[in-house]
Amino acid sequence: MPRVLIIAYGNPLRSDDGIGWLVAGELRSRLASPEVSVLQLHQLLPEVAEAVSRADSVIFVDASRDGEPGELRCQPVTAPSMKASFSHQLSPAEVVALAQELYGTSPQAFSVSLVGQCFEHGEGLSSSVTGRLPHLAAKVEGLTKQILSGGPVSLAEVKA
Amino acid sequence: MKQGNTIVIDPVTRIEGHSKITLHLNEDGRVEEARFHVTQFRGFEKFCEGRPFYEMPSLMARICGICPVSHLIASAKACDSLLAVRIPPTADKLRRIFGLAQVLQSHALSLFYLSSPDLLLGMDADPAKSNLFGVAEKNPELARDGIRLRQFGQQIIERLGGKRIHPAWIVPGGVSEPLTATNRDAILDALPEALSIVERTLEWFKSTMENFREEIASFGNFPTMFMGIVKQDNGLTFYDGKLRIVDASGKVVADSLDPTCYSDYIGEKVEPWSYMKSAYYKPLGFPDGVYRVGPLARLNVADRCGTPLADQELAEFHELQRTAVLSSFHYHHARLIEMLYCVERMERLLNDAEILSPHVRAVAEPNALEGVGACEAPRGTLFHHYKIDDQGLIRWVNLVIATGHNNLAMNRSILQVAKHFVRGHHLTPGMLNRVEAVIRAYDPCLSCATHALGQMALHIQLLSPNGEVLDQVARG
Repeated sequence: MPRVLIIAYGNPLRSDDGIGWLVAGELRSRLASPEVSVLQLHQLLPEVAEAVSRADSVIFVDASRDGEPGELRCQPVTAPSMKASFSHQLSPAEVVALAQELYGTSPQAFSVSLVGQCFEHGEGLSSSVTGRLPHLAAKVEGLTKQILSGGPVSLAEVKA
Repeated sequence: MKQGNTIVIDPVTRIEGHSKITLHLNEDGRVEEARFHVTQFRGFEKFCEGRPFYEMPSLMARICGICPVSHLIASAKACDSLLAVRIPPTADKLRRIFGLAQVLQSHALSLFYLSSPDLLLGMDADPAKSNLFGVAEKNPELARDGIRLRQFGQQIIERLGGKRIHPAWIVPGGVSEPLTATNRDAILDALPEALSIVERTLEWFKSTMENFREEIASFGNFPTMFMGIVKQDNGLTFYDGKLRIVDASGKVVADSLDPTCYSDYIGEKVEPWSYMKSAYYKPLGFPDGVYRVGPLARLNVADRCGTPLADQELAEFHELQRTAVLSSFHYHHARLIEMLYCVERMERLLNDAEILSPHVRAVAEPNALEGVGACEAPRGTLFHHYKIDDQGLIRWVNLVIATGHNNLAMNRSILQVAKHFVRGHHLTPGMLNRVEAVIRAYDPCLSCATHALGQMALHIQLLSPNGEVLDQVARG
């Protein structure tokens, strides 16, 4: 059971939506450790709740549409009340809620996102995002190391 | 939403793809006509033209994120036919295991994720609770079982194909890599848990059927023919065999049909109000040649499953009705029996003495300019038909997809449900949910069936005799 589960997700065929997908490989090499596991997914489906329930901490890495392209955000994920209407994919908060409801565990969870510019069909990232990818990887790496150090997590101190 | 005398449900929820439903009312406010509109378009048949034939399995797998394996299988079989090769016996068995794993995870998604809210919480449940979270709250074991079973099927696909979605392991001539002993043993170790889950879900489902008498009586409960591929001994199969068609009484209408000659007996009609074509049995013409495919049809056309536990359940299933089992509500029941079969059959195949053989691919150049591949996808019979030129480039593609076979029956089912449950000009969530639930019973995959672009959503319209939209509901 990993102490930290990183779920990097997105669609690499929809331009900047592939941010999470593309950074997964980099995270695997930066954070190679039996205490860290990196999952690379297209979207969050209910199955992932089981993996989440077995981790101490979870970091969701994704592209975002809200904000200035290239903007990096890191925030805690809290489980919502059970009112989500599931269809074909879940939000990080819903995954955490499902893990709590079904498996009785509630790992601390964080969301690290990079605001994308283009979400149209196509492979590869837009120029405003490409240069920010190393910062995204660094942010996730910093957060993971803070978690593994065992102390309280301060998002403000996580370097990008 | 209601507009004039039309009810619009838009989008249809908890299904795969985008669609809407319109219900047309007469002067008395009773439903007179119902239509299931598929509003997405993809165009796979067209954009494959000009591509090298050997790319087809990988391209075709992109049609669907739920059943890419069925498209891989049908496409690879069409390519085998272009190569004019007989694939190695072990490749044949590995493709079968791959297909069974996919049926298992796809059926699990349909039953547990999409339909269990209706079955567990009831058709009149609060729409805000009619989802997997509502199921988790009321019966967490059922929700955990669904997740585990789907995970199990996907893990097999990943172990064999390298990834869960769009694996490219099945290739023209066989499969690209043999099965390792480690992967075989890991799958075998997990089978008993999967079997227990299916068995207890089947018992739970059968215990709930009493609560759905009205739905069983009105959910697509009418005479049609049923079509499916069966083995030479008329047993259940998903991979290869002959086509069989039975009528509503269970009498065999056509037997031993060669699936590669599908166009001799299956016609496809295009309707102006939908991107999905309607298939029909040519000898009876359109629309009299309506038939159903998928789990219900497969169990109606097969004499046996060929595995002990599934056969026991099949015998009980056939007792539901003296004729063919007609109500589309029983698609759920049939789906569970097929899941049982999948687990039992996989165990048998994995224990085959040759399953680890390294000889898994026949290599050849194209030897024919036309090829057809057919198999049973989770939702029904699937045909891929290709024509190539002397350079091996695709010149023409035709895909006949399970959901298209069921289009006519789905439209009639919606009409039957709407006539039974819709009263007056006022819509209730329970009424709308039943209209959606009958579609869910078929488990349509509209991304597959329309070769179209997008996801599934639903739109129900209530129309007046003069076409005015009285009410409509839209989602997605």
